[in-house]
Amino acid sequence: MKEFQIEAVKPPKLVGVEVAEKSWKILEHQILVICNHNKSNHSLDLEELDRNAYKMAWHKCGEQPYSGLVSILTSQLEKIATSLEDYDGALFLEELVRKWTAHIRAVEVIRHVHMYISSTNKTKCTYVQIIRNVHMYMDGSYVRTERTPVHELGLDLWRDNIVRRFKIQERLKYALPELVQRERRGEVINRGLMSNFVKMLLFFGTPVYRNVFEAPLLNVSHGFYRGESQLLIKSRGCGDYLKETEKRLSEEIERVSNYMDRMTERHLINIVVDYMIQRHVNKLAHMKNSGFIGMLMDDKYEDLARMYALFKRTPNGLGVIRKGIAAHIRNIGTQLTEPERLNDPVDFVQGLLDKRDKYDKIINLAFNNDKMFQDAFNSSFEHFINLNPRDPEFMSLFVDKKLREGLKGASKEEVEIVLDKVMRLFRYLKEKDIFEKHYKQHLLKRLLANTSVSEDAERSLISKLKTECGSQFTSKLQGMFIEVKSSGDTMKQFYEATGHELGDGPTLAARVLKTESWLTQSTTTCNLPSEILTVADRFETYYSHSRKRRRVTWQTNMGSADIIATFGDGQKHELHVSTYQMCVLMLFNSGDGLSYKEIEKATNISTSDLKRCLQSLACIKGKNVLRKEPMSKDIVEDDMFFFNDKFSSEFYKVDVGTMVEFEFEEETRKRVKVDGKHEIEAAIVRIMKAQRALDHRNLVSEVTKKLQSRFSPDRVEIKKRIESLIEREYLKRDKDNSELYRYLK
Amino acid sequence: MRRASSKKASSNSTTSTNSSAMDLFRSATGKAATKELERIDQLFYSYSNESSGMIDPEGIEYLCSDLEVEHTDVRILMLAWKMQAEKQGYFTLEEWRKGLKALHADTIVKLKKALPELENEVRRPSNYVEFYSYAFRYCLTEEKQKSIDIESICELLELVLGSQFPQQVDLFVQYLKTQVDYKVINMDQWMGFYRFCNEISFPDFNNYDEELAWPLILDNFVDWVKSKQS
Repeated sequence: MKEFQIEAVKPPKLVGVEVAEKSWKILEHQILVICNHNKSNHSLDLEELDRNAYKMAWHKCGEQPYSGLVSILTSQLEKIATSLEDYDGALFLEELVRKWTAHIRAVEVIRHVHMYISSTNKTKCTYVQIIRNVHMYMDGSYVRTERTPVHELGLDLWRDNIVRRFKIQERLKYALPELVQRERRGEVINRGLMSNFVKMLLFFGTPVYRNVFEAPLLNVSHGFYRGESQLLIKSRGCGDYLKETEKRLSEEIERVSNYMDRMTERHLINIVVDYMIQRHVNKLAHMKNSGFIGMLMDDKYEDLARMYALFKRTPNGLGVIRKGIAAHIRNIGTQLTEPERLNDPVDFVQGLLDKRDKYDKIINLAFNNDKMFQDAFNSSFEHFINLNPRDPEFMSLFVDKKLREGLKGASKEEVEIVLDKVMRLFRYLKEKDIFEKHYKQHLLKRLLANTSVSEDAERSLISKLKTECGSQFTSKLQGMFIEVKSSGDTMKQFYEATGHELGDGPTLAARVLKTESWLTQSTTTCNLPSEILTVADRFETYYSHSRKRRRVTWQTNMGSADIIATFGDGQKHELHVSTYQMCVLMLFNSGDGLSYKEIEKATNISTSDLKRCLQSLACIKGKNVLRKEPMSKDIVEDDMFFFNDKFSSEFYKVDVGTMVEFEFEEETRKRVKVDGKHEIEAAIVRIMKAQRALDHRNLVSEVTKKLQSRFSPDRVEIKKRIESLIEREYLKRDKDNSELYRYLK
Repeated sequence: MRRASSKKASSNSTTSTNSSAMDLFRSATGKAATKELERIDQLFYSYSNESSGMIDPEGIEYLCSDLEVEHTDVRILMLAWKMQAEKQGYFTLEEWRKGLKALHADTIVKLKKALPELENEVRRPSNYVEFYSYAFRYCLTEEKQKSIDIESICELLELVLGSQFPQQVDLFVQYLKTQVDYKVINMDQWMGFYRFCNEISFPDFNNYDEELAWPLILDNFVDWVKSKQS
């Protein structure tokens, strides 16, 4: 900053208007010079300016300069405008900016002059202030204080003569967006220039900014992104397309923050989202192989997360994905539960657990734990898990296997994790009481055969079931544990009391259970071997003696025994057998070559049980402790049985298969016939949904047709299902036509 | 016998909650009508329960004895229908007003006189279906209840259809009491039976076709009757 000395100015001689006019002419000229000159000379000009201005002020000639200023500036701007028309493209913009910068400076100077001229009381201090302001301005610090009238004048004149001038405006409206487009296409542009322009426009207010810059920009942006999206959608897979979109979005945001006003960000984002995503939402989501289904199958978490984030910006995008995924899960789930596909129930349930885990992970990693997605997943799972009426049974089988073998050696935490996962599937079941029924049977089997891996695990699961379903659900189950435990105590007491009397007889391990909680089948008995009878009778006496009014009945179809058998070459094996098997085998102590009839008579076992029992003893390789003549798979009344001296096994202990186990598994596997209720109902709903209204006869025939590949539905069952649907307000009868049903939902 | 009506101090029947409605009511109708409404309200309060503001079962019993009608009489049910009463055993002020105004009865005497006419009105075929379905709904006491137990259904059938289709009702009630498949009856089955009585020839059931959309319970009923007859 140049040093400026304040000289005492001698008041000039009082002159007339001519002097004023002369001074004005000089002033005018100097202003023009300033308007056209560069910065470097300004300080010098200023000095001159001041002196003349001072003179004018002294002569109290305030009015003239103001209107004079207007005309000077206007004519100057005219000239600038015309000259600008000769420029084009980037040069046009650069020139415009240059002129603008100069103009701003000129305005400041003029303001200074005007202030000087129009004030009548000039003190030295004021003078100094003015000079200081001007210098600051000249140095380039555009400190916007309150707008003085001259300031306003200068800006208004610029706006009216340059910016609003049609030809210039048109060029601006074209050139500015053009630069942006170039940048979008990958070119490097002069961002400083853009920034200056935007600032200039904003100077004139938001409407000018919007009109001259933002609106044309949005216009071309529409076109750009329309084209871009159409091009990309044809050539890219969904994942790549979304990556591109994400890139474009962040580019636009960055661009705005760099050289536009913040208000434009929202509009640009909307355009990108609209063209790139909104208009192709369905196409993208359902794109073959690369759409969300492909992503789900291949666990593409990153792509899914990106899709989620981008679709979230649209009003309905998330809904599309959500519905699509829910339908997808329902489909694959329904396929999984198709009866023909079910080979191993345990594998099936494991598959379900795995699926649940997979989708859990996806919701977590890709969908931000979005609750609506979780709800959609849950309802889809719930839907297909309840399609197959045997699912509750399968789940019980799965749990059974885990508690028998799967959790062997697992740590407490591992057990808890598995059980919690099972509980999650359990919650989806509609027919929880069927699960309970099977679970009870399986638990019974486990308790009796003592095959449970961990009592803690059993209890843990029961308490989880209790939390879920209430204590009523589990009270019987808990009772079972208690009874088994107390049976152990009873046995101990029994042997303490009578053990000495029994001597070398077989050791009895009886489990005393209350009839109601355990038995689903009726009581069966058979003739026990004498050795067993002794100790059994003893126990009976003991028990009824110590607990009055309680009767003990032996459930011979549920017991097991460990017997030591000596074979031909002195080989001994310990055989684990069912009670029935034991009864049969013990017969061979007193004779060999027994006929079926003899065995039946001696043991008094029921026919079907006996046949199964003999089959398991004589017809299974590796476990044939008996020989049958003739050698065949089925047991008939004329068969003869012999003790198999030649039996051999690499193990000392041989499990010949307890009856209980055999029976239960048979039971489960035998049941092929599917209870058609669900199928019929689903068929009715599907048909009515499509037809909206249908009369009874036709509905019945349609349903029958639809299900004919699976089974032939019972007419009565169909009616039952229709009535159930009427009650649940899926259907209603037509008011006037009693044969007509209408679909409601 | 009327209960001692000393409970209400003034004869002014407007209560604080209803005063604005009452005013509107009054201003909309003529003076004679206003008088009638007043009397209707007064009649209400002579049977209603102080604390609940409604006529409860006890009040209905008194009403019935004043009307010289058994409280199990179908005409009380018809009255409830006329009032479109929602809760079984209770009448609200609004319901009472609605019913009695429609019957032009503002005293017990007039109400009693209105009963035979009411009966005729209800028994008109176009109205009877509505009344019949109303009777079922009226018996649903719990919020989400959709069906009624067999015993109550039997009573209701007697009450509502006993005079019109005595033989069908008798047989059906017999069937319901002996069968074990159904423990409750829902609206669809209830309405089905009415249609059955109207359309199917009795006692041969010759035009009954179980291949049609009749509710299953009626299929079973017809089977049962036929096997009984053979």
